[in-house]
Amino acid sequence: MRTRQLVILSVAFLLLCVALWAQGTDAVKPAPGQSLSVIASTSTVDSLLTGGSAAWNQVAVKHIGLNRTPPLYDTDEPAALEIPVVDVRLARAGGKLLVQLSWRDATHDAVTLPEVPNTPPETRFRKVQTEANDRFFDAAAVMFPVKGEAGAITPSLQMGDAEHPVDIYYWNATRGAMLMEAQGRGTTRRTGQNFPATGTYQNGQWSVTLELPDLPPGTPVAFAVWNGSQKDRDGRKYFSVWQVLE
Amino acid sequence: MSKHQYAMVMDLNKCLGCQTCTIACKKLWTDRDGTGYMYWNNVETRPGLGYPRQWDRIGGGWKDGMLQPSPLPTMEDYGYAWEYDYEQRLFEGKRKPVMPSPEPKSGANWDEDVGSMNGDENYFFYVPRICNHCTYPACLEACPRQAIYKREEDGIVVLDQDRCQGYRYCIKACPYKKIYFNEVKGKSEKCIFCYPRLERGEVNACAKQCPGRLRFVGILDDPESPVHKLVLVHKIALPLFPEKGTQPNVYYVPPFNPPKRDNYGKSILEDSRLPLDYLVYLFGPDVKNVITRLEAELKRAQAGGRSEVLQLLIGRDAETRYRIRPQLVQIQA
Repeated sequence: MRTRQLVILSVAFLLLCVALWAQGTDAVKPAPGQSLSVIASTSTVDSLLTGGSAAWNQVAVKHIGLNRTPPLYDTDEPAALEIPVVDVRLARAGGKLLVQLSWRDATHDAVTLPEVPNTPPETRFRKVQTEANDRFFDAAAVMFPVKGEAGAITPSLQMGDAEHPVDIYYWNATRGAMLMEAQGRGTTRRTGQNFPATGTYQNGQWSVTLELPDLPPGTPVAFAVWNGSQKDRDGRKYFSVWQVLE
Repeated sequence: MSKHQYAMVMDLNKCLGCQTCTIACKKLWTDRDGTGYMYWNNVETRPGLGYPRQWDRIGGGWKDGMLQPSPLPTMEDYGYAWEYDYEQRLFEGKRKPVMPSPEPKSGANWDEDVGSMNGDENYFFYVPRICNHCTYPACLEACPRQAIYKREEDGIVVLDQDRCQGYRYCIKACPYKKIYFNEVKGKSEKCIFCYPRLERGEVNACAKQCPGRLRFVGILDDPESPVHKLVLVHKIALPLFPEKGTQPNVYYVPPFNPPKRDNYGKSILEDSRLPLDYLVYLFGPDVKNVITRLEAELKRAQAGGRSEVLQLLIGRDAETRYRIRPQLVQIQA
């Protein structure tokens, strides 16, 4: 039984590797299904960000299939495909690109962490305490290449590579938005910069809006979703293949 | 491999469970936001649950060259840090007793002195624990961020707070559960073997404050150091759970001859109050040889002879117990 599981895992992993390699290292002409239309919105950036559904109604939705990364260790908790699809809407407004990601998620994995006072801890009677050490939070991200290479080579899906660095606009349901950059797997680095983003969870559905710089048509973008209840963090996540902005 | 390796030896026969080491460490390193529940140095009663509870039974370390990650311990396993309402009592004039909150229900060394029974006799001893600064650290291998590294100059294992993203793979991989997650910062933390002190020629805070003088510190490959003598020359100190495969650099002189009622002077191997199986569980089968060596030294001293080993273990002064050599481990420019 165990051997059979291992064989299936290995085959799945190999297939994924081949898929990633094809995606990641070759000059890929985007397939027709992999292009994303962008609407020039008449709404303001603020109204798009604060997520009034009216502001987004005019924008067509694209359902993008998500994949699970393979487990790192065979002792890892199993990871079922609980979130098979992320819905993406894109709008240009006020010189920005607004990205709205929506997905169904049965568990709302987010908390409000206790506020840390500005005074040094040694001057206070009470310290802020760790409340839990084994919880993980829902999150989402958009990745795109730093260098504009419209219609040409998409970087490796594994956070780019040395010649093809990527920017990652990452939003975490508990810790907020942060801009990251990477040049290959394991190199992701927080830049210390933030960006405007909002997220709401309602009726088993996340709706997260990120404000990105305006990206030119032809820019490849990829999406990722982390499900806290599945102990997702790091490379343990859902990911899409590259899509191209129209 | 590191060029040199700092190591520590703790003589469990001398530990009185006073937790002065724990407090020395806490005041110096973990008196910050998010660190209340963590004890980079803790002292636990053995046999017992340990801190976090059952850490020795849930996994971690290496097997056949593969990492064996365990589940993450929970806050219940560590014990929540409780705070006292001093403000109300001392400054707001409320006539209430000072009370802890949340209500203490578990914690480090919660089962202090419970121990176990051997026939009708109780037995227990204390095991102080810090990060083992392993030669083959499972935590280092588990981190996908390369946030953990082993210092080339002295073998101390440290966790880069800038690179850490709080994924906690290291905690799952460590067989000794000596890395802690600070949820307030979103990063993991661990014992740094007081390297800023060692770099100034000063011994670790836990060792410095130990009233039982049971800690010996030095460089394992320095023939003059007490740890070299105890571990490699006299061979009377062993690491905890050697089968976990990480090759720890903290060693223990096992408890070897507690008296049993009406049986004073008999060897632990002949008629032990501490079941030998339990010592084998903690330190591996070599513990029998170590106890045999220690008892031979004891008998020699009792017969009026001189035992270099026992003199060293008494550790009368700091020069005997510690040999800190910042110059030796300095990285050559």
